[in-house]
Amino acid sequence: MGVAQTVAQESTSGEHVTVRWLAPASFTAQASEKLGFYFEVDPGWHVYWRNPGDSGAAPRFRIKPDGARVGPIEWPFPVRLKIEHLTNLGYAGNVAYLFDITPKQGTKVVSLTVELEWLVCKIECIPGFGTMTLSRPIADTAPWLPADLALRDYFAEKIPLPGVQSPWLPVSLSAQGEERIHLLLQMAGTAKPPEVFPLNGDLFTGAKPKLQREGGTLDYIFERLPGAALSETAGFVLSDGSRAWQLDRVAFGAAMPEAPQRPLWLLILAALAGGIILNLMPCVFPVLSIKLLGLVREGHSDSGRLREGLLYAAGVLTTFAVLGVLLLVLRAWGAAIGWGFQLQSAPVVMGLILLFWLMALSFSGVFEFGHRLVNLAGVSRGGTFATGVLAVFVAAPCTGPFMGVALGTAAILPAVEAILIFLGLGVGLAAPFVLLCASPVLLNRLPKPGPWMEKLRQFLAFPLYATVIWLLWVLGRMLGEGGWLIGALLLLAITFVLWLGYNFSRFGRICAWVLLLIFLVTGYLALNRGNGEASGDIVSWQEYDRLLLEQALEVGRPVFIDYTAAWCITCQVNKKLVLDTSEVQQLFQMNKVLLLRADWTRQDPEITESLAALGRNSVPVYAWYPAGSKEPQLLPQILQESMITDLFNGNKN
Amino acid sequence: MNVNFRTRGLAVMGCLFILSLLSSIVSAAAVPGEKAPDFSVIDAQGDKSSLTDFTGQWLVIEWFNKDCPYVKKHYGSGNMQSLQKKYTDQGVKWLTVISSAEGKQGYLAPDRALKVAKSHNLNASRPFLLDTGGDMGRAYGAKTTPHMFVINPQGTVVYAGAIDDNDSASPAVIASSHNYVSAALDASLKGEAISRASSRAYGCSVKY
Repeated sequence: MGVAQTVAQESTSGEHVTVRWLAPASFTAQASEKLGFYFEVDPGWHVYWRNPGDSGAAPRFRIKPDGARVGPIEWPFPVRLKIEHLTNLGYAGNVAYLFDITPKQGTKVVSLTVELEWLVCKIECIPGFGTMTLSRPIADTAPWLPADLALRDYFAEKIPLPGVQSPWLPVSLSAQGEERIHLLLQMAGTAKPPEVFPLNGDLFTGAKPKLQREGGTLDYIFERLPGAALSETAGFVLSDGSRAWQLDRVAFGAAMPEAPQRPLWLLILAALAGGIILNLMPCVFPVLSIKLLGLVREGHSDSGRLREGLLYAAGVLTTFAVLGVLLLVLRAWGAAIGWGFQLQSAPVVMGLILLFWLMALSFSGVFEFGHRLVNLAGVSRGGTFATGVLAVFVAAPCTGPFMGVALGTAAILPAVEAILIFLGLGVGLAAPFVLLCASPVLLNRLPKPGPWMEKLRQFLAFPLYATVIWLLWVLGRMLGEGGWLIGALLLLAITFVLWLGYNFSRFGRICAWVLLLIFLVTGYLALNRGNGEASGDIVSWQEYDRLLLEQALEVGRPVFIDYTAAWCITCQVNKKLVLDTSEVQQLFQMNKVLLLRADWTRQDPEITESLAALGRNSVPVYAWYPAGSKEPQLLPQILQESMITDLFNGNKN
Repeated sequence: MNVNFRTRGLAVMGCLFILSLLSSIVSAAAVPGEKAPDFSVIDAQGDKSSLTDFTGQWLVIEWFNKDCPYVKKHYGSGNMQSLQKKYTDQGVKWLTVISSAEGKQGYLAPDRALKVAKSHNLNASRPFLLDTGGDMGRAYGAKTTPHMFVINPQGTVVYAGAIDDNDSASPAVIASSHNYVSAALDASLKGEAISRASSRAYGCSVKY
């Protein structure tokens, strides 16, 4: 916390932080100038934005000017820093907080005294205090050190521009229930959705909002601080990663429709209808049809069939009741969950993809599976009960659009009513089957068993394949590109395992088992890893930008450029095995390397030109600018971690 | 065609499914206007405290970490202790909780906790509650030290958030800060409505 006495108090420092001015040697009369407090922060430590997020604190500047007017502090747009269970808004490296200064008329010398307070955190936090002064004459020119000017300009670029210039316009802002706030933005053109940072930490948590995209409309769903009262308006900063815009006062509109106000009978009715409609879903329909056809084929008596129907209903209702109780128990533990929550977990989605893939393969006749699946418990009596249980589980991915409201409400209603809604869904799901079993008239209308059944079964595989595709897409949305790739690879692997297991003798089956286990475990691990990446850890790579590169070279900062493309396998392998490993990332961070990623997946003249300047016309290319050098070294196309380590061993001073 | 192969395959998938269901449980929080989450935590003397012990009484719960600069701000200045004294004298119960996990910053073994309680002149109703596993902290959604919760005699949370409106680490600002906790308690004890039931809890992250 000591105050550095050097340079006439033009800088100050504390643990892990040094602060100095970004300012010219003199000011010009009455011309406004943008100055900065430049915070040099140790690698791994961070300082905060104006809204620091879940913990932490924004720095404070008490500026006492003499001979000048000073404007408010301008905050470069932040990044989300996930620190254990919290999300902070701040800066993962050095940052400059800026402000405008205008010398008053007739002033000869402008001087400033600033009391600073800041908080610097890794996981632990250390507050710092200091005083800085600045004294500059008025002259004809305002000469800057080029390096300081470049830094000032670099951070000035990150100051949010007025919202009217933003490529995204606010459509509406509304609360949904007590926990969520929706911000709808309209996107112009095909720009990528921006990161959105709320200005008000008393209303919003720091957590990254969930994003739902529908055409050109982006729906950002923020977590609301528990019990926080709504304000009339809220402000946001939108950033595309290089520039930012500030929406100052977006007014809260009417609350989003919320379920609890709806009468209970209507909800139960909705649940019933939702349950009935579920029967027609590709998730459930194939299972039921096959079961029903099985009943006809086995030639049950009328009463026998009725009993089967009731057993099925019992299976459905028991499962729904158990799920309802489970929900209540979870809720009692203080868990805020809703139905569909399984679909927010990548491993669950993957599990469903596998399940449907296997069912589809079985329906296609690749192997026998579907019949046995519904006959899980073996004998027909238990089997029909099991079909009921299974029907509920396979219905899960189809619940969203039809039962969301009812189940969402069930998650917050009193216990008895919540269970009623669950049972309503169950009755709805079971009713058509029971009806068919009970009424010989209806059942007789069903076509007689025959070879067409086989064709029907094969046909029903297609909705299942479609479901698999849809779920792969969901996985991709959750995890990014890696998601569907991991998913599809796992499907390929499982299919191979099946082939191995069904076509070879004992040894093949053992191999199949071992492989299955390996694939499932690696798949699960890969999914979880992907999860972490998607949840917004510190982003170290920036999009390639010539200006950024030039600025860094100007100030002598080392730069590493990764020329890459999604279709370039070598690039992806290098990325996974070397560039994005935590060791290499740490090394880059420790040496304050600017990491630029030039993505050549789509034609980009700027990148093409820059590649040509390096004498290359393909990727991967790895260009390394050592600190202070403006000439790049090119690294081999197949990277090894040691090559990166060597860059720094040779250069350490 | 091996029946075992299939059934066990299903079993594996079933387990995967259920495991994932459980892993997707999201932790909740103590929300103003709702029932306070129950807890059962041993204090530094080895006695157990739970929410039901305080039914019918006003209760303040405070998260603590002796090494956090913001905790130091409020303890070093005596601000927290004088709040504790002022309100426990009026019959309000006060619990100071440490949710730091063993090996993390702020963790205290029971004997050490007793000493720290003494050296800090803790005026809470119990010596530190040692929530080493973090169950209570997570149930309440305690994010920072200090993070304050006020619970009414019916067991409903009436305030959750920061101790006051100034997130400076400097004790000098305490005098000019608006204390949310005492505002909430003063209003409540007079039977008046609380003007502010929630705020962003500033401070250091709880070291679960």
